[in-house]
Amino acid sequence: MHELDEQLRELIPRMRRFAVSLTRNASSADDLVQSTLERAIIRWADKRIEGDLRAWLFSILYRQFLDAHRRSRRYARMLDYFTGRDDAQPSVERTVMAQSTLQAFDKLNTEQRALLLWVSVEGLSYKEVAVILEVPVGTVMSRLSRARQALRQLSEGEIASPALRILK
Amino acid sequence: MISLPPNERDLHAYVDHQLLESDRRVLETYLAAHPDVAAQVRAWQQDAQALRASLSGVLQQPANPELDPALIRRRIKHQSRRHFASAAVLLIAVSLGGIGGWHAREATQPTMLPMADAMQAFRLFAQDGIMPADYNAQDSSTMQAWLDRYFNQAHRLPDLSQAGFKPVSGRLLTTEQGAAAMVLYEDPQGRRMSFYIRPPGPENGFLPRGSRSADGLQAEYWSGSGYNYAMVSPVGQLTPQTMKF
Repeated sequence: MHELDEQLRELIPRMRRFAVSLTRNASSADDLVQSTLERAIIRWADKRIEGDLRAWLFSILYRQFLDAHRRSRRYARMLDYFTGRDDAQPSVERTVMAQSTLQAFDKLNTEQRALLLWVSVEGLSYKEVAVILEVPVGTVMSRLSRARQALRQLSEGEIASPALRILK
Repeated sequence: MISLPPNERDLHAYVDHQLLESDRRVLETYLAAHPDVAAQVRAWQQDAQALRASLSGVLQQPANPELDPALIRRRIKHQSRRHFASAAVLLIAVSLGGIGGWHAREATQPTMLPMADAMQAFRLFAQDGIMPADYNAQDSSTMQAWLDRYFNQAHRLPDLSQAGFKPVSGRLLTTEQGAAAMVLYEDPQGRRMSFYIRPPGPENGFLPRGSRSADGLQAEYWSGSGYNYAMVSPVGQLTPQTMKF
């Protein structure tokens, strides 16, 4: 039994959640998690361990997703999504949940979804996110701010925009 | 230390619990006195809360066995062995090519010693044992069936059971002449010999029945049904009984 496997196993649910929030489709999410695990296992030997495993895995997963997004070929099911066929099945939990927020979340761009998941849901520090995105902490904060505004506007149907406040 | 009025970053850091404790208290006091800013902050907090609630269900999905790290690890190992195997196969082709090229320059000899690849394969797979088999036989009939998948109407695998040798594993190889296979025989003492089959190559290099030895290995070779064959074993191991193929 490899020492890493147990730690990976514990983090799989979180990886799947992140993958679902990126792909919005359970089966392509699992493809993504699988290729992330493969990469993590292969790279583990070379990894200089700093910071937590979760952030490292998220960063691999995110890269894989972006690569797939760019190439759009490797993951045929993702391709369907990117070409506009929205076959994301509404799961039980989705219908029960805070619909408006989630619907708004799904309309955000990839990086904004990742940012909000990392910070608001997973509670990663700005620094960890900065390492993942390879940008300065300040950039993380301003992007996060934009993502929050966008989420707010989308979930309120773009009514209470900050612009109104400035005019007031 | 934050300054007041707080900038937007401080507000986000507050929402994300990333402010120092002292700063957090300063900011809370400020928010109590500024309901419009407080409302903005609360909206962000509520969005974050809604998002956590919405996405918590995904954590409860039933496990997907395909995602088991141990399984993935095994698969990776298997793949890298395969890569290693193809690298070794390439090596055979290259070294034979080298010999062939050298002989071609000499121009007086035939291009290659007969079935040198069969002996090379035996050395690599039977003696060094550095690679796993592509196929492990349950009995001689399944081994024959495996071979028949790749070679059409070829000579049957020799029956060496009288001498105690049974086919145990098979390996596919690529050579300059085309796809080849080696079937390894073993006897109860662990002695080994191999049956080797491949096409004659583009120049139809069929062989008269013959034998030769090199570097401690003995090869019996012949042609028939469109293929070349060789039986390879360490010199001195062949007994008269096992020679009937």
